[in-house]
Amino acid sequence: MTKWLIPAFTASLVLAGCSSVPRGSIPVVDSGTSASANRMDNVKVYGSSNGQQGSQAQAQAQAIPEDSGVVVMVPGGVGGSMPLDTSSAPISSQPIQSEPIQMNSTQGDNTPSTSSAPSISSSTQSAGGLAADEQLDGPVLALLTTAQQQQAGGDLNGAASSLERAQRIAPREPQVLYNLAQVRLAQGDAAQAEQFARRGLSYASGRPALQASLWDLIAQSRQMQGDAAGAAQARERAKVNL
Amino acid sequence: MTRPKSPRSRSKRRKTRGSRPWLGWAVKLGLVGLVVFAGFAVYLDAVVQEKFSGKRWTVPAKVYARPLELFVGEKLSKSDFLKELDALGYRRENSVSGPGAVSVNGNSINLYSRGFQFYESAEPSQKVNVRFSGDYVAGLSQVGGGKLSVARLEPLLIGGLYPAHQEDRVLVKLDQVPPTLIQTLVAVEDRDFFEHHGVSPKSIARAVWVNASSGALRQGGSTLTQQLVKNFYLTNERSLTRKATEAMMALLLELHYDKNEILEAYFNEVFLGQDGNRAIHGFGLASQYFFSQPIAELKLDQMALLVGMVKGPTYYNPRRHPERATVRRNLILDMLAEQGVVSVEEATAAKARPLGVTSKGSMANSSFPAFLDLVKRQLREDYKEADLTEEGLRIFTSFDPIMQIKAEESLTGTLKRLSGRKGVDQVEAGMVVTNPETGEVQALIGSRQRGYAGFNRALDAVRPIGSLVKPAVYLTALERPSEYTLTTMMEDKAFSVKGQDGQVWSPQNYDRKSHGRIYLYQGLVNSYNLSTAKLGLQVGVPNVLKTLQRLGMQREWPAYPSMLLGAGSLSPMEVADMYSTLANGGFNTPLRGIRSVLTAEGEPLKRYPYKIQQRFDPGAIYLLQNAMQRVMREGTGRSVYNQLPRSLNLAGKTGTSNDSRDSWFAGFGQDLLAVVWLGRDDNGPTPLTGATGALQVWTSFMAKADPLPLDMPQPDNVVQAWVDPKTGQGSDSSCPGAVQMPYIRGSEPVAGSACGIQAPVDSVMDWVRGWIE
Repeated sequence: MTKWLIPAFTASLVLAGCSSVPRGSIPVVDSGTSASANRMDNVKVYGSSNGQQGSQAQAQAQAIPEDSGVVVMVPGGVGGSMPLDTSSAPISSQPIQSEPIQMNSTQGDNTPSTSSAPSISSSTQSAGGLAADEQLDGPVLALLTTAQQQQAGGDLNGAASSLERAQRIAPREPQVLYNLAQVRLAQGDAAQAEQFARRGLSYASGRPALQASLWDLIAQSRQMQGDAAGAAQARERAKVNL
Repeated sequence: MTRPKSPRSRSKRRKTRGSRPWLGWAVKLGLVGLVVFAGFAVYLDAVVQEKFSGKRWTVPAKVYARPLELFVGEKLSKSDFLKELDALGYRRENSVSGPGAVSVNGNSINLYSRGFQFYESAEPSQKVNVRFSGDYVAGLSQVGGGKLSVARLEPLLIGGLYPAHQEDRVLVKLDQVPPTLIQTLVAVEDRDFFEHHGVSPKSIARAVWVNASSGALRQGGSTLTQQLVKNFYLTNERSLTRKATEAMMALLLELHYDKNEILEAYFNEVFLGQDGNRAIHGFGLASQYFFSQPIAELKLDQMALLVGMVKGPTYYNPRRHPERATVRRNLILDMLAEQGVVSVEEATAAKARPLGVTSKGSMANSSFPAFLDLVKRQLREDYKEADLTEEGLRIFTSFDPIMQIKAEESLTGTLKRLSGRKGVDQVEAGMVVTNPETGEVQALIGSRQRGYAGFNRALDAVRPIGSLVKPAVYLTALERPSEYTLTTMMEDKAFSVKGQDGQVWSPQNYDRKSHGRIYLYQGLVNSYNLSTAKLGLQVGVPNVLKTLQRLGMQREWPAYPSMLLGAGSLSPMEVADMYSTLANGGFNTPLRGIRSVLTAEGEPLKRYPYKIQQRFDPGAIYLLQNAMQRVMREGTGRSVYNQLPRSLNLAGKTGTSNDSRDSWFAGFGQDLLAVVWLGRDDNGPTPLTGATGALQVWTSFMAKADPLPLDMPQPDNVVQAWVDPKTGQGSDSSCPGAVQMPYIRGSEPVAGSACGIQAPVDSVMDWVRGWIE
């Protein structure tokens, strides 16, 4: 058997020499297990938004381009709260109010809690930093922040996906629904934007500023769907509630 | 092509040994032979290169469960959390050393997550500390670091979408393979791998020696390259010709590709087991399949076991033949110590370890065919079959293995408890579990038999829904607050109508009695057929049908009055769709099982976004939910509170079709909705009503799953009013027996005057009552 192989080998050697592929140029299918470390290039970005609360503000300030208009408020951050401007949706021709996040701190009694967990969940809402209306849990705030970064970077699908993640964690938080509506509007899905804003309204009782913003979003959505009368009506409600 | 040529070339060579006069001829013949042979070599070379340079394998799509999210305040019990970690193959250690390890210290758990690429972002691999308090997550931080807002575990792999030949693998790159695993494989299968050129005369000689001296076929002389060639290019035929072709191809392969590429291909190609119709190929998948761990985390004993199985994956199957597998593993470990790959101490320690394969029936080693069936159906609407079975897509679903196991346990346990009743053993089951707040399907049961991959009753058992239809009748009425409120007086008495088809229809109550004057809501709460049918006829059968369609029902039912009592048929999934609109404040959400799809490389491909549509006035839904909560408190569903705390607000409805052929229950809390159907495949009668059958499964499930109490915020157009329990007239909170009911603003009865002394005395009365009791 081996004897037979000697000419075989020489022959193939000669012939193959001409046709051989240079080493190293062989394409290798890369679909190894997803957990492999070499596909984690953007871990750092995520990690920063997810990391220690104290250093969060700085990390995010670096990650966000200055002109995007997104500033992130950090609960329990060193310097108290900074406004979280949600006006990054580029679609509307009207100025979008930034009220949904900058709330008056007068309603402390009627804040829908985002989870029915016992008081332990409020440990991240530290004293003084956060307006009373915004009882956003740590995870929800972190995910809203991530979503806003993605939206600012033009990744609307990623932003919507992060917001849905937030919605699964806090399904009754109108802020999440507000942001979801905003992203849908930016994606051109005005009908869904209106629906999410309406869903948000059903959880926003006692939060007039947020209600106004939601009505304003409904007005924009209706405008976009060609419903001028409906938009005007919604705009009226946006005013009344203020 | 190979066969006719090689014997010819052999025969020519024999002739060249003839006498000198033939030399010229011989040389010529030899040359011809060489040319023919060279042609064959060229052909083989093309074969070798063609298959090795292109896409070497097709990889079935992988389906993942939802990743478990971790955040402070999350409702999650420690035991469920540990179950999930076990399913993900986390090793219990005293102090976490690397990814995939967990250490438990009372209510404080440290784990080293593995990291994962999700649709919206990558989750880093990190050391996380989770603290539990009761059934809640009380703390989340990085070990040795600050607080964490939110973190997720890797999702559990729950299955794949396999092509016809059903080869499955998880591709690995060589740099993901632990060096010890490479050393072990080489030491056991091909000691000279890094020296030879594809075939190894040395190992053939060694094999001959070993086999001769032991008198048995113990060792093969095939190199890893030859084994790869055999698996990759050739059939299982045993012949000298094939052996020769194999050797030649091995040489050619080595000529073109370096050792590492060949080794990587070997690691992905080798067959290591059979799981039903699915062939387990490669160490990447084998590591998942046997240990639920990625290959990079394998320990010495696990590596030795897998390498030992190469010789005979069926014979040494560690689940089927643990003794054989252990012997083989220990033999390998000895061999490693002998060759100096590991120290004798390391080998001894590894030999002392149990096999450690995940056991059958554990979360890691269960199949969930009903849910996978749903995923496949949804995917087939968007993808070609080949895309699903060959491209290695990653499918992210909403499947919750914890919920699934609880649902399965509830079904099995309840049927066992009911098994004394005659006929229960013939009863089949379907069950759907969703989160109404997100519209996501969390669990699905297609049969009472766990892991059964046939008829999926959750999706395909289309059966008469009985009284499950009634909420639609009442919702139709409650949408007209000027005509109907929850306390409108109704007459529950026998009647007959002539339908459009000319047939006379005379509905009857389940207990064959009439109940006289009742409140509207009591017809639903007690599931009275007479008053419900009457109400349905008053509001109009076509209008009830419209309500059903707005709820999400997509079938065309004829507008016969019998529809009002549930003659129409639906699958459990369709019922879940309708009821989630009721649970979700009147917002309809198309039920989803898939969240997103990534390519094999982790690139976002498609998202299945959350969509909602408001279909009903929240006020009407609020009133209906109130009535459906009374079903549970005081009506046909009240047995639920024999097992569940009364603080847990739930809403639901029983359903029973004629002769108890179908036993239904559909109901929900705030974040959990479940629909249960029990019945026979042959549609025969069962001994179970909705309350005695399906409701029992549902209750058992809710007790395990522990949902949030239903708590719909009261819409602006709803007011609460006190009414007299008998007359339906307005009353006051101070009056004995007065009940508080919600009304659409403007439809509430005029408030009655206070009874006895004025309000402040209420507290005194309570105080007195406290004394008396």
